Amino acid sequence: MKRKIAVAAALAATLLGTAACGSGGDDNGTASANTKVDGTGKTIKVWLMVDAQTSWKNVVEDASKRFTAATGAQVNVEYQQWANHLTKLDATLAGTDVPDVVELGNTEFSKYVFNGGFAEVNKADFENSGTWLSGLSGACELDGKTYCVPYYAGARVLVYRTDLFKAAGIADAPKTYDEFLADADKLQSGNKDSKFGAFYMPGQYWYAAMSFVKSTGGDIAKKDGDKWTGQLSQPASQQGLQRWVDAVKKYSKADVTKNENDQANIFSQGQAGMFYGNAWEQGVAEEVHKDPNDPTSPMVPTKVKGKLAAAPMPEIPSFLGGSNLGVTQKSGNKELAAQWIKYFTDSTSMSGLVKANALPNATALLDKAAADNPTIAPAALAAKQSWFPPNAEKWADVEKGNVLQTMLTDVLTGKKTVADATKWADDQINTTLNES
Amino acid sequence: MQAVDSPTTRPAPPGGGTEQRAAVPRPSRRRRADARVPWLLALPTLVVLVALLAYPLYRMIVLSFQNMRLRELLTGLTPSWVGFDQYEKALTDSTFWGVVGRTAGFTVVSVILSVLAGLGVALLMRRVHPKVRLAMMIAMMFVWALPQLVAAQTFRWLTDSDFGVLNYLIDKLPGVDYANHSWFVNPWQGWSLVTVLVVWAGIPFLAISLSAGLTQVPKELLEAATVDGATSRQALRNITLPILKPLLTIVTTLSVIWNFGLFTQTWVLRDGHPEPYYQTLATYSYTQAFGQSKYSYGSAIAVITVLLMLGVMVFYIRQMFKIGEVD
Repeated sequence: MKRKIAVAAALAATLLGTAACGSGGDDNGTASANTKVDGTGKTIKVWLMVDAQTSWKNVVEDASKRFTAATGAQVNVEYQQWANHLTKLDATLAGTDVPDVVELGNTEFSKYVFNGGFAEVNKADFENSGTWLSGLSGACELDGKTYCVPYYAGARVLVYRTDLFKAAGIADAPKTYDEFLADADKLQSGNKDSKFGAFYMPGQYWYAAMSFVKSTGGDIAKKDGDKWTGQLSQPASQQGLQRWVDAVKKYSKADVTKNENDQANIFSQGQAGMFYGNAWEQGVAEEVHKDPNDPTSPMVPTKVKGKLAAAPMPEIPSFLGGSNLGVTQKSGNKELAAQWIKYFTDSTSMSGLVKANALPNATALLDKAAADNPTIAPAALAAKQSWFPPNAEKWADVEKGNVLQTMLTDVLTGKKTVADATKWADDQINTTLNES
Repeated sequence: MQAVDSPTTRPAPPGGGTEQRAAVPRPSRRRRADARVPWLLALPTLVVLVALLAYPLYRMIVLSFQNMRLRELLTGLTPSWVGFDQYEKALTDSTFWGVVGRTAGFTVVSVILSVLAGLGVALLMRRVHPKVRLAMMIAMMFVWALPQLVAAQTFRWLTDSDFGVLNYLIDKLPGVDYANHSWFVNPWQGWSLVTVLVVWAGIPFLAISLSAGLTQVPKELLEAATVDGATSRQALRNITLPILKPLLTIVTTLSVIWNFGLFTQTWVLRDGHPEPYYQTLATYSYTQAFGQSKYSYGSAIAVITVLLMLGVMVFYIRQMFKIGEVD
């Protein structure tokens, strides 16, 4: 009961702010990023995810400096954790003291755009907006208006052990899916260790599984008129899922109840030949902080340091992950906020991100990125052939509801057949996406 | 009354009718003041209780009759009133009843195991050398002092499929392959782990309370029983347990309350996203409210949870009051 009440208290406390701010969202004008504003004496609050702090803090600082020089306003950046940032955001946006700029993952944005959490921005104010990656900007668009700005992207690639490839007599990264399977066979048969898996693939890694579904022409859900319909039980989707299940069962020794969060660290233990991850995860697998609790401690090499390479996953379209930036509807400094986003997403900032192994926000910049930074070349290539989850208001609820994760684990453990599990998932998706 | 009277009334000359009448209002005024003082003293506590418990509870109940979603939260619109819709939705949903059954089943099993284990440890503590008893007390204090979150994180790493020491040790046994074994694929295995964690963390409170209760069992009774030829089992059933009964009722009740609200352990062991077969009422209410932004539905589930638990507890609470009356 104590804990029950604690939950209740938290629930109620979150909602306390609601009553106090009934008139907070009346201003519905477009936040222009190009009008001259005098921001002297003002400070805007920016919420970025922790990745910016660990990987490209200099880009943030540089953009803020240029912003301050142009407007006179100060910037206060607060870094958020992925694990709890949405709960925190909900509670904060319910109040009046809100951040002016918020970063959210691209799959998380739709829900807030549909529910009036973000202010409209003028697309033309932002550099490269004509060629924004549609996987990112899709979540920003509603009824022909734009509510957020693409920030950076990540595409998933095949990371493999060059030393093991050489030992198994494989010259190059696989170019077709059949080659990939043949290589996996060679790696697996060449290794006598019972813990060794040629292809590390945790069972709840749904971005990967859905990429396989897309590879055979399948889909997660489709919109007909006003209604969403789950497509996983369609033959094309089932075929792709079966392809994934076969590969996992044959080549992976990964935990079927885990997701991909710690895959790079597990891979660095040296007991797998390949994994499917973000381009930057190669770096995570090769080097770790000496003291994992201290982000300023020196980097130390892992067992697989210098033995890794990346290539696009053959014939499997990549899930395009990434983040967008939005101006909150309740912000008191909308124009300043839009201007800060303008500086933080311009070509100068984007080339900084590319140096830090992130993909830029526009297709026009991808080729240059691949040329400037060979590390992300495979990812830049993969990003050109990428997919994105259904752009539905309630999509985030499907993710939060563990629907796809549960489906995958149930299939891998043999609890359900592919046919039964996809039927179940479609039912869940239909209910969730169409709920009023 | 006389013992309470202040000395000033005593010197009053006896037989003086007027004085006696004049003295009447005085105690009555004092009685009025007496009635106010306890309330005044309790006021800070009451204010805190109302602010931290009653008001949030009131808001939660109000919320459960509305339909509050993300739009209302973000824009400050007043949510629409929907009457008992949220309750109807929960009570007609088989998923919800599955969660209720799972929570109840876990509570019964974990409470029985922890009370038995706690009683066992308490009885053991009466028999061992005082130094050993002290060592046991200290060890249990450490377990007790460990925050739930820390204990759950520790268990999560012990049982991790890739880095866990449990798999490593089991794997060392000849002929057993437990490398990369996942403890959460099979819900029975996963729930066994959760139960072990909860029972382990629950034993110190039970054992220490019950061993304190055991000191109240008169030695003479036990000696007399032994002289009369009672076995130790008979002595336990007919002497020790009846004397312990009030205390056992209370600690069992508390364990039911705590274990029914299981949240932290499953939440942490499943890394913040428990699969459907690891959901209990507390996590289900939380994921509905905060994960899926169904704030009203989550509130309705929380209210139902409280009602369900009160329904079960009425029996125990009545018994507790009966014990109080006899004393």
